[in-house]
Amino acid sequence: MPIHAPHDHLYSSVKLETAKAKLTHAGRKSLYAPLNLVAYIDMMTMLVIFLLMSFSATGEILFVQKNIVLPDAQNWTDLERAPVIGVSKDVVTLDGSQVATADDLMKDSATGDFKIPELHDKLVTLKNNYKLLHPGEDFNGIAIIQSDKNVEFKMLKKIMYSVAVAGYQNVNFAVTPRAKGGGPLIQ
Amino acid sequence: MSVAVETGGKSGKKAVNADLNLVPYIDLLTCMVAFLLITAVWSQLARLEAHQKGQGQAGEETPPEKIVKLVVVVNGEGFNLVAGEDQQPIPKRGDQYDFEKLANELKKFKDAHPDKSDVQVASEDTIKFETLVKTMDTALTARFPDISLIDAGGAGI
Repeated sequence: MPIHAPHDHLYSSVKLETAKAKLTHAGRKSLYAPLNLVAYIDMMTMLVIFLLMSFSATGEILFVQKNIVLPDAQNWTDLERAPVIGVSKDVVTLDGSQVATADDLMKDSATGDFKIPELHDKLVTLKNNYKLLHPGEDFNGIAIIQSDKNVEFKMLKKIMYSVAVAGYQNVNFAVTPRAKGGGPLIQ
Repeated sequence: MSVAVETGGKSGKKAVNADLNLVPYIDLLTCMVAFLLITAVWSQLARLEAHQKGQGQAGEETPPEKIVKLVVVVNGEGFNLVAGEDQQPIPKRGDQYDFEKLANELKKFKDAHPDKSDVQVASEDTIKFETLVKTMDTALTARFPDISLIDAGGAGI
């Protein structure tokens, strides 16, 4: 009877190859799992398309002020860079700084002069600055009035008069754009 | 971070499976989303154009007899459409201004005077800004692009 070198052996019900795999951890499930990125890329693509559609090259010219509710209009045009006069029920501001109060404007002037001195002077300064900074260009004379929809014309006419006296002949009114059909504009 | 493209084939041929490297694409999308979110304009605002006459500005050179002056007077009782010597009151319907009738009358006037493009909106002191904007909007819809907003007291009507 030949002599054999001793080797691994188990019960006959256990396969030797399976036991080896268990002992050497070769049969463990891999830790690397592929991530399914299709849904993520779909979401990012849709987000980019939505943001590109609502992109505005001119940037944000007017900021919606908390105490000003704008009226809406169908026949609107895009905004341009110009001095912004904010008119709420309480105060009048020029580019964010207060130039008059509503109480002052609602009073009847004793002299009949509608001019608001502080607003007029600041607008003239802005006009002169524009001419200095853009020597080759004509001054377009545009001023934007961002007024609350419940403000009375008595206030507005004094502001418009001051604006006109300061040399701004094109007064634009900020509005909320509305679609031609009458519904809200979706951009 | 890759996607395998299965094209089948388990024979001894060379495998045609390919891994797409999606890292640059995801980087690009992330940068674009960040940029667009930062520069996004959430409040869509626009402007309504109006012109101001007066304060030393020269008027039109057209002889006065050829001009038919069109003025929409806005007062507490409604509108008053003044075309030359003619006046047509458009009273309120209940508490609301009758913008529909004003639009019809302005369209009729435009059909009769196709060359006319300017209209003056003359307002009383107590009229609210929203009403004036709607009036100007109605005039623009009726194809009067040159709108002036003036004081009813100074309009001489």
